Amino acid sequence: MSTKQVLVFVEQADGCARPVAFELLGAGRILADKLGAELAAFVACASAGDLSGTLIAHGADRVYVAEHPELAAYRTLPYRRVLIDLIAAMETPPHIVLLGSTTTGRDLAPRIAAYFETGLTADCTELDIGPYEHTNSQDPSKVGLYPDCLYAIRPSFGESLKARILGPWKNPQMATVRPGVMAPLAPDAARTGTVHSVAVHFEETDLQLVVAETLRSMGEQVELQGAEVIVSGGYGLGNPEGFSLMYQLAACFENSAVGSSRKAVDAGWIAHAHQVGQTGKTVRPKLYIACGISGAIQHRVGMDKSATIVAINKDLNAPIFKFAHHGIVGDLYQVIPELIRQLKLQKTPTPDTRNVATHSL
Amino acid sequence: MKIFVLIKQVPDQGAKAGINPDGTIDRAKAKRMLNPFDRYALEAALHARRLYGGTVTAISMGPPPAIEILYEAIAHGVDQAILLSDRRLAASDTLATAYALYCTVRYAGAFDLVFCGLQTTDGDTAQVGPQLAERLQVPQITYCEKFEIDHSEIVARRVIEGGSQTVRCPLPAVVTVANSAPRLAYKTLRGARRVQQLQRDEAERSRVIRTVNLDDIGADPVRCGLKGSPTIVAATEKVGEIGGNCTLYQGKPLQQLVDDVLAAQVIAPELVKR
Ligand SMILES: Cc1cc2nc3c(=O)[nH]c(=O)nc-3n(C[C@H](O)[C@H](O)[C@H](O)COP(=O)(O)OP(=O)(O)OC[C@H]3O[C@@H](n4cnc5c(N)ncnc54)[C@H](O)[C@@H]3O)c2cc1C
Ligand SMILES: Nc1ncnc2c1ncn2[C@@H]1O[C@H](COP(=O)(O)O)[C@@H](O)[C@H]1O
Repeated sequence: MSTKQVLVFVEQADGCARPVAFELLGAGRILADKLGAELAAFVACASAGDLSGTLIAHGADRVYVAEHPELAAYRTLPYRRVLIDLIAAMETPPHIVLLGSTTTGRDLAPRIAAYFETGLTADCTELDIGPYEHTNSQDPSKVGLYPDCLYAIRPSFGESLKARILGPWKNPQMATVRPGVMAPLAPDAARTGTVHSVAVHFEETDLQLVVAETLRSMGEQVELQGAEVIVSGGYGLGNPEGFSLMYQLAACFENSAVGSSRKAVDAGWIAHAHQVGQTGKTVRPKLYIACGISGAIQHRVGMDKSATIVAINKDLNAPIFKFAHHGIVGDLYQVIPELIRQLKLQKTPTPDTRNVATHSL
Repeated sequence: MKIFVLIKQVPDQGAKAGINPDGTIDRAKAKRMLNPFDRYALEAALHARRLYGGTVTAISMGPPPAIEILYEAIAHGVDQAILLSDRRLAASDTLATAYALYCTVRYAGAFDLVFCGLQTTDGDTAQVGPQLAERLQVPQITYCEKFEIDHSEIVARRVIEGGSQTVRCPLPAVVTVANSAPRLAYKTLRGARRVQQLQRDEAERSRVIRTVNLDDIGADPVRCGLKGSPTIVAATEKVGEIGGNCTLYQGKPLQQLVDDVLAAQVIAPELVKR
């Protein structure tokens, strides 16, 4: 097998792929087409059922399936073993390997990359293929023109920079990709592909870690991702009480949730589950209202796909006004109460109900 | 119990010093601080010693000023420290960093537990911990928020999407600590005195804080720094406007301003609660 491959790691639970797997297939399809390569999916599980068919419908040309009772739930070492064995057995390693930047992908990917001593870029928000010419002769072995590099793009440490990270010298070129960013393909049952079963061998040491218990507490989750409207508060709120104003504004909408910047979370004003951005959640609501948020790149990557972005900030030069669709320049403690008042009036616009409207929430 | 904790000095992004107008960081001018995520790793290491005895060694790789965070770790109660400092480490990516730290750990001797922070605020990859575990050929527990030791097994709770998981595994192991784990306690008076003593007494200092280079730890320079790094940052781009032009509302009396916003249908009426 010497065709070029883009290989995607499929995260699954009980034989159902997680959304990030379809997102990776969507992104992987674009990369594979640019490279003239095949898109392969790798799934490890107890029993794949009809998962392979689903993966093919979502864009995979080829599905590698490793089935074994020890692979039922994700664990680092058994999964590491089957993925390493799969790649090592290939005549040529995949050109690109992608995983989600979830607690699973970020646990597994570094071990695979370290084993093969290859490059890995964390938490990408964009991927592309393109050429690169290395001219820095500090390391002569690296100099040259590389036509088909993986461009792994992610926010960088600076306030408003993105970094393009490359590692064209060795395959596989690896990256983990943020969940919620890439668009999955619409499933197409007419798509065809091949399914290959992968041999599974463990060493005794692979099985030394055991999972005693897994708890998923759906109840406590903040429903950020399903909300149509997100009202987000930042450090500009000035104090934790500011979030009660965020909840009041959110309550004006049918299907809403309260988000926050990391600085507000770090200050202890609100729980991390509300955080939007690089180290929080990625959201794309119909309406995102950013209140007292400056618009740092790490916040922006979590929300800039929102359909409408409204920013309320007293500083005309705040970076958020560079990418919001509508900007209200003013003190949020003045603007928001007035906004709430008028939104309530709007729903009952006759003058004699004005007074009633101000005290019903 | 022999416990290692890996900590890194990072630029303080909160302080505006050292942030260039184009958004890049001038590391020489930037204020420095202990990577905030590593505070949880330090607490976990000290907690393990409180419960099960033994010693805690803090390990850091970085330029000479990184000794500041090792003093900080000692003030919090760490027993000793190792600083790996070598110009040949410049431009190391995570693979090269993990290799150099692996050589440092090997140099420091046998261990039961290595604690790492979840991620750094500058590299921000969360890769170094697992890559170190791969080099050391030991199991890892990432996103750990709580643990105990039971008959030379670690029993740990780790965070996963929408929940948590309890795992157990034999020692030695590498543990990366989540930021939902217990916060680092205050510096101790004893620790503060110890730092003062080390700052005065050079002989004692070089015994407690060992500064080593690649040759001391037997690391292959070709696998370190730029040469040992399979990735490079090829370009940074300033992020431009995406939504195009932002319509600004300003400079009017409040009521009229908000009137304008609503009149422009900035907020789609169907989203508003009836
Ligand atoms: C590795 C890494 C990961 C990160 N991940 C995230 C992440 O996931 N999410 C995230 O949000 N950040 C993240 N950050 C932090 C990010 O860089 C910024 O520091 C953060 O987003 C800033 O939060 P802020 O906008 O609330 O605060 P600030 O930048 O302090 O902005 C406050 C804003 O409020 C305005 N303001 C003040 N008072 C008022 C008022 N009364 N009325 C109106 N406006 C007012 C000010 O003009 C200012 O623009 C990360 C950083 C790093 C290094
Ligand atoms: N230069 C370094 N010195 C010591 N520890 C480090 C260094 N770089 C990374 N680490 C450890 O690895 C963790 C993850 O870092 P990173 O992969 O850069 O996000 C950190 O929280 C530290 O515990």
